[in-house]
Amino acid sequence: MVMNATRQQVLSHNIANAETPGFKQILTTALGFMQDKSVYTSGNLQSTPIDYLGTMGLGTQIGTEYIDYSEGAFQKTDNPLDFALNGNGFFTVKTPDGNRYTRDGRFLRDSDNTLVTVDGFQVLDDAGQPITLPDGDVTVDTAGVITVNGEEVATLGIGVFADPAAELQHTEGNLFTGPAASTGEDVPQVVQGSLETSNANPSQLMTQLVEVGRSYEAAQKLVQNQDELLGKTIASLGRIG
Amino acid sequence: MSSSLFHTLTISRQDILSRMLDLDVTSSNLANVNTAGYKANRSNFQEMLNNQLKEGTQVRASQLMTMQGTLRSTENSLDWAIQGEGFFSVTLPDGTLGYTRDGQFTLDAEQNLVNANGYKLVWDGTIEEGMSNVSVTPTGAVTATDDTGATVDVGTIQLTRFPNPTGLKDNGSNILLETDSSGAAVTGDPGAENFGTLSAYHVENSNVDLSQELTRLINIQRTLSMSVRAFQQTDTMISQAINMRKA
Repeated sequence: MVMNATRQQVLSHNIANAETPGFKQILTTALGFMQDKSVYTSGNLQSTPIDYLGTMGLGTQIGTEYIDYSEGAFQKTDNPLDFALNGNGFFTVKTPDGNRYTRDGRFLRDSDNTLVTVDGFQVLDDAGQPITLPDGDVTVDTAGVITVNGEEVATLGIGVFADPAAELQHTEGNLFTGPAASTGEDVPQVVQGSLETSNANPSQLMTQLVEVGRSYEAAQKLVQNQDELLGKTIASLGRIG
Repeated sequence: MSSSLFHTLTISRQDILSRMLDLDVTSSNLANVNTAGYKANRSNFQEMLNNQLKEGTQVRASQLMTMQGTLRSTENSLDWAIQGEGFFSVTLPDGTLGYTRDGQFTLDAEQNLVNANGYKLVWDGTIEEGMSNVSVTPTGAVTATDDTGATVDVGTIQLTRFPNPTGLKDNGSNILLETDSSGAAVTGDPGAENFGTLSAYHVENSNVDLSQELTRLINIQRTLSMSVRAFQQTDTMISQAINMRKA
């Protein structure tokens, strides 16, 4: 039951972010909770040896959570400051707590013409510096080179990691902490005017929701059963004594 | 790590609230699919996660989508459309400035150029009694035909632009207001770099994409019912835990 309560929380979080661009769903794992030896004796306490029957699981517990880094579908927005990454890689942004990686490409100019995320964090270029945009129409090619009024301004800093699941940690909303430098090689393509939608699949979420609800109910029934059984045992044993 | 089901309820509650906000934004976009110069708004959802404590989602801000709308030609010399980034400035009843892309002006009884709400357009010049056919050139010279039939210059109009127009605040009635995130207003002549040019006898269509907004509406409906379902299930789970002993 405790495990399913945690699963319900993770699931609700994924459902809540079904419309958050660049969101990567959180997956949970179940682990066997303690293993115990199962033994058989013939009833007479003096009788040895005790027959060893094997091990018995004592239920499940929640295992480590991990992030599903698979790519979400692309949605065309036509907004020149919306970006998606086609392939494995992350935009680099600067937060007060240090540099972070994200797949969320909703950028805008702030009042000082600096390129920032919707949370107001500065987007960094390939040299780790904030990007200041001159006035004018912004075009970005697939390599991430930003051009305004025909002049090259900067190149988006993109972190590529060979194994994001092992190298990155999910720290704040939609942001990941990881190594300072790229460890992978295949640089993704930057797509201007599109966003990557959440990779949480609605039908899968609904199925999981039903599953969690039923498992929780089943566990609850089992607890009741055990309780009843234990109650009966105590009552009848008491009568004999 | 907190795995309290009550916390899970607040995740879903926050989720449902955000969907409701998004529904408001989308409804308002849909209502303005035919409003001249209207710019669509977008709700920006963002994941809330604080030191591994999952808090669901929230709407960070609604962002103005400032893409150019298509121009539609009209018969009216006082229909002015902007092609480019600029905005018209109008004086609001409280004396402050509001900004709009809706350039359908009329002359009021005192020969002022006003918009549909009666707010005065900010420009430099006067239109004398008896003048007709008031119009504008692409670079902002306001012209009119006087009683002798000659076309004369009666003044000039300037446009306003912002570092981040997507941060302007929607004040209703197709009027936008300056905010901290939009940055300070800069005025300049039409035709100057980045201000855009004017087209008389034209109206800028709303940039709301009907099919996109309808898809959005269906999405909201779907995600909202999913959030409600999750909320109800958490509630059921809590009740099952409470009633464990009884059954």
